[in-house]
Amino acid sequence: MKVKNSIFLEDNKPLLKEFLDALLARYDYASILATDSISRNFSVSKMGTNINEDTVLTERGFCTKVYDKGQACEYSFNSISKDSIPTLIKEIEERLIPLGNSVPSGVTPYLFDEVSEETTIFNESTDYEQDPEELGDEAIIDLLTRISEKGRAYDERIIDCRVAFSYQKYSKLFLSRKKDMTQNVMWASGYFVVMASEGEEIQDSYKPVSMLGGSEVLRTLENSLEGCCKTAIDLLDSEPIKPGEYDCICEPDVTGMIVHEAFGHGVEMDMFVKDRALAQQYINKPVASELITMHDGASTIPEVASYFFDDEGVLAHDTIIIDKGILKTGICDSQSAMHLKKDPTGNGRRESTQRKAYTRMTNTIFEAGDSTVEEMIASIKDGFLLCEADSGMEDPKNWGIQLMVKMAREIKDGRLTGKIYSPIVLTGYVPDLLKSISMISDTMQASGSGYCGKGYKEWVKVSDGGPYIKARIRLG
Amino acid sequence: MYRTGKDVNMKDRILAALERLHIDEYIITEDQTRSAELFFIKKSLDTRRIKNNTSYSVTVYRSFDKDEQPMKGSSMVHVYDSMTDAELDKTLSGAYLAASFVCNPTYELQEKTVNEFIEMKSDLQGKTLEESAKIMADALFAEDKDGDAFLNSAELFVNEVTTRIFTSTGIDAGYRKYYVTGEFVAQCKEPQDVETYQGFRYDSLETEALKAKVRRTLDYTLARAQAKKAPAAGNYRVIICDSYAKELFEYYTARSLAPYIYGKYSSFKLGENVQAKTADGGNTEITGDPLTVSLIASVPFSDEGTRQIDRQLLDKGVLKTYHGGVRFSRYIGAEPTGNYRSIKVAPGTTSVEEMKKQPYLQVVNFSDFQMDDFTGHFGGEIRLAFLYDGETVTPVTGGSINGSIIEKQASMQLSTEMQVEDGYEGPLAVCFDDIAVAGE
Repeated sequence: MKVKNSIFLEDNKPLLKEFLDALLARYDYASILATDSISRNFSVSKMGTNINEDTVLTERGFCTKVYDKGQACEYSFNSISKDSIPTLIKEIEERLIPLGNSVPSGVTPYLFDEVSEETTIFNESTDYEQDPEELGDEAIIDLLTRISEKGRAYDERIIDCRVAFSYQKYSKLFLSRKKDMTQNVMWASGYFVVMASEGEEIQDSYKPVSMLGGSEVLRTLENSLEGCCKTAIDLLDSEPIKPGEYDCICEPDVTGMIVHEAFGHGVEMDMFVKDRALAQQYINKPVASELITMHDGASTIPEVASYFFDDEGVLAHDTIIIDKGILKTGICDSQSAMHLKKDPTGNGRRESTQRKAYTRMTNTIFEAGDSTVEEMIASIKDGFLLCEADSGMEDPKNWGIQLMVKMAREIKDGRLTGKIYSPIVLTGYVPDLLKSISMISDTMQASGSGYCGKGYKEWVKVSDGGPYIKARIRLG
Repeated sequence: MYRTGKDVNMKDRILAALERLHIDEYIITEDQTRSAELFFIKKSLDTRRIKNNTSYSVTVYRSFDKDEQPMKGSSMVHVYDSMTDAELDKTLSGAYLAASFVCNPTYELQEKTVNEFIEMKSDLQGKTLEESAKIMADALFAEDKDGDAFLNSAELFVNEVTTRIFTSTGIDAGYRKYYVTGEFVAQCKEPQDVETYQGFRYDSLETEALKAKVRRTLDYTLARAQAKKAPAAGNYRVIICDSYAKELFEYYTARSLAPYIYGKYSSFKLGENVQAKTADGGNTEITGDPLTVSLIASVPFSDEGTRQIDRQLLDKGVLKTYHGGVRFSRYIGAEPTGNYRSIKVAPGTTSVEEMKKQPYLQVVNFSDFQMDDFTGHFGGEIRLAFLYDGETVTPVTGGSINGSIIEKQASMQLSTEMQVEDGYEGPLAVCFDDIAVAGE
């Protein structure tokens, strides 16, 4: 089934067009992004049950952008009526445009060339099998409760099993002189986290699922529960690893974190504009093993960051960033593309209509290779299998790696010994790690249960993943 | 009392819908946000933005029995002034239905205390957002004097937020606050091209504090440009300073949260010396600085209408209060305090100079410092540290530290020097012995 149009946006479209026409009469360029979005979070744990709307992803709002004599200006608001249009225009004329004077001496507004755009008119929707609203809150909570209780009953050392499900169903309308585009999208994700305790220490193990679609994602949520319970308990006996460089195999979610944090942020081309990304010096140069081909795009795979157009009205792309080890290009929002005289790649995303658009990743992956996971483990004499991506931070300027994973499972003479080390910090230099990749599994997985920030803010939904990879990595 | 005709209308519409639907327990929250925002790339203004947004959220509560036990479910939804009455009814009745599946043991909502609207004092008040943006932008760039280290890019947000809270128990409270947030990146190109990120947040026009932060960051960036290698792998006496010191203490604020106590995620008990606890649940002697920590109210009312006041959290390591929202506080028999985002930590007994008399690794910039309040582990990748081997001080970059607050809390030393950061007033530096460092 297709996600339906927003009645709110349909009803307000004539009004928004009237507002747009008034802006186009005054400014070189004007556009309006209108959003109607609902996102709900469900969770069950020993602590209780929650059903709440998401405070960031649920909104009805508008963002208008104008270029006034080449200067970029935006106004975010969330209420419009026929009577309020003159007030909105006045706010833009009397507050927004003069804000350009609130700059220190020696700082001047950047003057952009005229925005170029092609006529694009469409209305597209993503597919789903089951609408969470039709499944109903009771059925969702019943399922989460059953999984949570089963997890808690696994072992007396398990102190909680938190199970969660979220979805977002959104409609966006983008209007400009040449564009009239509507998209309706729904994604869903879930996870459980099992917590085990002994003494003062609490350890946890986590498993996410996600998809572009609806509550059908819940059908696979329970699959890994028992393994997670066992891992959480095993982690209680884990010990810190001896810092050093090791042969490692990364599970797909750890690969995804390397793809996203270690490399992906470094090819966001707003960083090129600011001279903040080392990657811009490596275009058409080798940055990774020849085994590596990397993609990003809202149309790369059907996942939680898939859409038809970005928040600046640019159509979705599938961008090949690394092709057989050679860095080919970055990803780009519209305004950065204007700075760089490049074409945008459909990666201009906003946290909400209340926020600025930045270059953001979408679905970011490494392609699969041709080894089996068994062959990869057998190839290691003394190393580790890195499991459960925890957190990571980008360093586009210096390609330094900071990634945290939950644990390293010891491999000796081609076999997992059962010994676990935790927590694990991955450090080093990104190209060193990527060039050391010597084996890639023949299957890949991607998921997007979390959010990506730009620095420490601007959260957007992303997915990432890839195959198992074998690499030489510094662990601490 | 703050009211506008439009806002009263929306509140009244929500109240009328709640009455139509026979929903008699609720919290209505109204947030009006206005901002002026500037985005700089080097010395050019890339984008300017303004925002004018009013949002409404409603939490509805529903009491019912399950297995003969009294329950109270709740569900929060957003409503908009663009909604028709029929849409409003559908949204609120949907939330009320959802609340019937939320099987949480019953509790009482926050009772009516005092109804007032508080204008929070700030010198941002009385100026337009655009005027304040100009003042802070001048401060932001004041130290960027065409030196080897310079501002690569910056973002500045001047915000005015007006919050109103109405509850079915009779609370009608609110406040208006102003604050400035932002971030900047300092860059130095020679002898190697490096950068340092910094964020900031002030509740008033703290121009001197912002200038000092920019100056310090430019200096760190110059030092990082000289740093060529990571420290050798091994164990070090580690000094953590600046904003990272604050994050260490989040272990104590998290573990004293009412939900953590209720869920047995934390074994902290009132009157117990939590700083003396060992990893196996035992106790040890405190050989370092005993911790005295206060929770500081940064807003006058919590989102549930609880009047927030400053409270002592730890007195020489002894836990004095639990803190948190209404539901979990009621469950553990504690007074609801609301949630806090600011703390104050008493100074220690060792000056930074004394800390530096022995060999040390002083980390001043991490790529992303993490404090895991479940495991007690803290660490991160080193962007800039100063390594003193007993003879010389060398800037180093790379590698990572990995420590455990549970293992080190009894022996940690706090500096006598203090700092004021976003949400933190406390020691400038914290020193730990024998911390594992992954390096060259």
